[in-house]
Amino acid sequence: MMNLLFDLRYYVLYPSFFNSVIYPGLIFTAILLLTTIWFERKAAARVQMRVGPYYASKRLGGFMQLIADAVKFVFSEVIIPEGVNPTLFALAPVLAVAMSFIPLSIIPVSVIPPSGSVFSIYFRDFYDPNIGMGVLTGLFVQYNMLLILAIESMYPVFVIFVAWVTNNRFAIVGAVRESYLSVSYDVLLIMATLSMSLEYHTLDLAKIAQSGIPGILANPVAAIVFFIAMLMGSARFPFEIAEAETELVLGAYTEYSGFLFVLTMAGSYVGNLVYALVFTDMFLWGWYPLSGFPGALLTGLKASIVVFFSVFLRAVYGRYRIDQALRGGWKYLLPLTFVSLFIGLVVGYIWIP
Amino acid sequence: MTDQAEELMKSGGMEIDVIPVSGELNVGPQHPGSGHLRIYVRLNGDIIEEAQVEPGYVHRAVEKLGENRNYIHLIPLVERPAILDSIHMNLGYIMAVEKILGVDVPDRAQYLRSFAAEISRIASHLYGMGILAIFIGHSTGFMWGFGDREVWVQILEALTGARITNSYVIPGGVRRDLTPTIVEMTRKAVTYMRRKIKDWENIFLNNPNVKARLQDVGIMTREQAIEWGAVGPNLRGSGVYYDVRKVEPYAAYSRLDFEIPVYKEGDGYARTLVRFEEIQQSLNILEQIIRDIPEGQILSDRFFKQIPPTRLKKWWEGQRRVVMPGYYASFRPPKGEAVTRVEAGRGELLYYVVSDGSAKPYRLRMITPSYRSIYVMQNLLKGVRYADLVSIYGSLDYFPPEADR
Repeated sequence: MMNLLFDLRYYVLYPSFFNSVIYPGLIFTAILLLTTIWFERKAAARVQMRVGPYYASKRLGGFMQLIADAVKFVFSEVIIPEGVNPTLFALAPVLAVAMSFIPLSIIPVSVIPPSGSVFSIYFRDFYDPNIGMGVLTGLFVQYNMLLILAIESMYPVFVIFVAWVTNNRFAIVGAVRESYLSVSYDVLLIMATLSMSLEYHTLDLAKIAQSGIPGILANPVAAIVFFIAMLMGSARFPFEIAEAETELVLGAYTEYSGFLFVLTMAGSYVGNLVYALVFTDMFLWGWYPLSGFPGALLTGLKASIVVFFSVFLRAVYGRYRIDQALRGGWKYLLPLTFVSLFIGLVVGYIWIP
Repeated sequence: MTDQAEELMKSGGMEIDVIPVSGELNVGPQHPGSGHLRIYVRLNGDIIEEAQVEPGYVHRAVEKLGENRNYIHLIPLVERPAILDSIHMNLGYIMAVEKILGVDVPDRAQYLRSFAAEISRIASHLYGMGILAIFIGHSTGFMWGFGDREVWVQILEALTGARITNSYVIPGGVRRDLTPTIVEMTRKAVTYMRRKIKDWENIFLNNPNVKARLQDVGIMTREQAIEWGAVGPNLRGSGVYYDVRKVEPYAAYSRLDFEIPVYKEGDGYARTLVRFEEIQQSLNILEQIIRDIPEGQILSDRFFKQIPPTRLKKWWEGQRRVVMPGYYASFRPPKGEAVTRVEAGRGELLYYVVSDGSAKPYRLRMITPSYRSIYVMQNLLKGVRYADLVSIYGSLDYFPPEADR
């Protein structure tokens, strides 16, 4: 019996399973998603002289309202418009969400010390020669920075796919906007990441976080650019341009209803979490100085705060026009990335071993 | 050579539907950013080549219905097109009827009319501001607009008994008198609004995002504004000093001291600033009215005398409100016609009433400010970016039911 339990624990805590399914993968993300939307609604309500979700569970501050909404969406009819391919129509949002989830299993959320942690038995399997410790991540690759951004940059392709499948004019305008935006924010993300990788002489997120030097101090310019590009990439205000409600109804997701609609909404929030986790590892020390499971919790906490902050901007900003966002990206932020690149080279040479 | 290549591509290879650069978008009437309006937009890329503004989805034939109802029964009807600004809609009509009847309105009633009208203007501007805010994605402005409007709507409720469809102004005066409670409420509301306007400036007017969306968008020059027939804040945002309250004072405006904000820029931001400063001017006017309002009747003697003494004692002496005298049920004004203008929240509102001596008007014509904005909007939408459609729409404060009547 004890053996069986031990075996079970071994498999459940095996990082490839634990990271992609439990934390920070499916389950944690789903809970955080609901919490984020709840926070978004509550915080905006506080600013806007309202109460926000309240009656569904007064003691929890209306948190159950989100569950109720989700249940309602799941059981409501999925309307498939005439003249679309039903298979692709149902498949497109699923693929988009699946795509946005994948990077979660590659992001390092903590390190595994050789002994003393519940994860220590996996030390050898997830050994990272750069830092001399194991890394708590679903799949360890030394170039995880690159891989995460590469996978996440596939997400807009699926958004465009969603729009193309629904064959709606508003959706297509939204998809065109999304494609313009994705080209511009991907460049910013990659440039910011590049300057960090030059600064820390690595493409391994774990090494940056474990170095003990917070990226936001080492290269604040890169942090600002990355954060703004994150807002663009996950359609947060003031860059909620591709779904602009009063202009495009709901952009690429105009035709969706019921559960498929929930999936389309989830995609951008998951994307936000992915970027926030990368931001945490890269700029906010990640799990340092903790390790093992507490370290993972610390990373999650910091990432949640980043996500919460980015959804809170809804209460402050309207949305920019697409040309203003693109101009901002190419005219002001791109030169800023060159500055961050320069800072990265200089500071990396002087300060960071 | 190139033609050949294109032909080759078409016949051989894969067939690809290329998304056309230009196309039509049907914005409304079922669209989050259209209201009860259809805007047929022809796009060239992101640029609107032509936008056809098609009103009429909430047409309720107020003018035709006006020919089939008694004068007094028309009061609730004419204020329906713009229930957010119902005092003005009501006031203009009553002024026309009074002109035909030849009634003098007591001073106190004139002041009360201005009082209610200014509150209505503030509420209407806040509503317009809220709609503009949500059109450009600023949800806080939306909620604040509606939240702050509530304060004024409650004063109207205390004063008239109804939140929006007030029917407050009646021929010869107004229905209810100002009470100390309402004066106190107004004082508090003025203080609150002054404080709140500072918050508005911080989060909305000086917000770089809002400025980016409104400045240099939908520019209407002075000449264009006059040629296209813009009215109200939209006209004043283009540098034309014109306000019916100054040009042709009605109610108590000739005795009140206020300024007309004018901006030269003519863009959406200027129109928004005009509205904000008008709110501030209205607050000043309200303070003056509370201070200067003369004592006296609120209904013309001619009608006041017809109220039976018992009812007078109960309602006027008890609760400072007048009950409708019997004459009102179906009075027959003399033959004649009258034109009146009032400065409603969204601009000049014109009424033309023709009486043929019967109990019903022969003709009732109302030209609402939003109606005058249709042509303005259609012209302004040419050649702007698609995202500016909502920004221009909101900055004009166009209200479809008011235009459709």
